[in-house]
Amino acid sequence: MNVFISGGAKNGKSDFAQELAVKMAGETDRTLYYVATMIPHDDEDRERIERHQWNRNGLGFRTIEAGKNLSQALTDHEGVYLIDSVTALLSNEMFREDGTMYHSAPRKIKAELKELCHTMDSLIFVSDYMYSDAMEYSDTVEEYRKGLAEIDKTLAKECDAAIEMFYGFPTQYYKNEDVPEELKQMAARNDSAARLEKARTFGQLVLDLPESEEDQ
Amino acid sequence: MVLIIGGAYQGMLEYALEKTHYRPSDVYNCTRDRVDIDFSKRILNNVEEICYACLEADRNPVKFMAARRSKWANSVIIMNDISCGLVPMDPRDRAARESASRLAIYLVNEADAVIRVFAGLAKRLK
Repeated sequence: MNVFISGGAKNGKSDFAQELAVKMAGETDRTLYYVATMIPHDDEDRERIERHQWNRNGLGFRTIEAGKNLSQALTDHEGVYLIDSVTALLSNEMFREDGTMYHSAPRKIKAELKELCHTMDSLIFVSDYMYSDAMEYSDTVEEYRKGLAEIDKTLAKECDAAIEMFYGFPTQYYKNEDVPEELKQMAARNDSAARLEKARTFGQLVLDLPESEEDQ
Repeated sequence: MVLIIGGAYQGMLEYALEKTHYRPSDVYNCTRDRVDIDFSKRILNNVEEICYACLEADRNPVKFMAARRSKWANSVIIMNDISCGLVPMDPRDRAARESASRLAIYLVNEADAVIRVFAGLAKRLK
C-alpha cells in the first residue's frame, strides 16, 4: 500500500509515517528504509536531521541518503520505504547551487514518483502543507508552492491512501468520496448534454460538407 | 449553494468543473479590484478576493454577499483558505484576511453542502 501524508509543521507527520512504515514492514517481514532527502545546508538542518535520526533509533530503519533521483536509490522492490520529504526533493531539484532555478523540476519529480508508485507497493511519502496563508510571496516561491501542490495532487491520486495530519490526528481523504447530491443536480440541470449533442450535430454538418470544390 | 474550500493550488476549481460538468466559460474569477461581480456565472471562484475589493470600497464583505444572496443561492462558491500562516504586515491585508474567515463562516452556514479539497481529493464537511 502506497501512502501520501501531508499537514502543517510539527503536526506529527513523521511520527505517524514511521509508525505506519514499521507496521507495514512488520506485517510482511520486509526491510525498512528511511529515505533521507534533506541535503543539510546549516546547523539548523543538521540538528533537525539528528533529531529525526534519534526518533528513528531502534525502529529498525536503514537510512538511504537520496536528495535527488529517487528511482535510482530505491532498488529493493520488496522494501518498505519512508520518503521524508517530498518538499525537500522538490527544493533540491528546483533550486540549483549556482542560484538558478530548474523550472521543470515539478514535472520531472511528478513523473518519477508516479512511476515509482506504479512499480512499488510500499512507499510512504511525507509532504508539507503550505497553502493556507494570506501572504503574497515572490514569483519564485509561488512557483515552488504550485509545483509542490502539483506533486502532492499526483501522489494523492496515485497512492492507495491520502492522509492529512492535524496535530497528531490523521484524516483520510478518498478518491471515491461521494459527490454531494447538490453538485450532481447541478450537473444534471446544466445543459452540457444538450450542448454536446449540438456540437456533435454541428460536427456532423461540417463532416458532411464537400471536401473540395471538385466534389460539388 | 455549494461551498468548496481549500488551500492554494489544491484543485478546488478542477473538482467543481469535473463534478458539475460546467465549463471554464461558466466561471467568474473574483479579483481584489472589482466589486461588480458577474453573478450570472455558475461558479464563483477565488471569492476570498471579494473581501479585498469590498474593504477597498469601504464595504463589509459579509453584508455585501448577504444582500446579494438570491444571486448566488444556486451557485458553486470556491474560496481559498487564507486563514493560516503569518499575519500580513499590511493592515488592509490583515483586515481582508479576517473578513475572509468571517465570510467563509457566513457562507458555510448558508451552504447546502460544504466540501474541503485537499491535494485534489474532496471531503464533505456539511
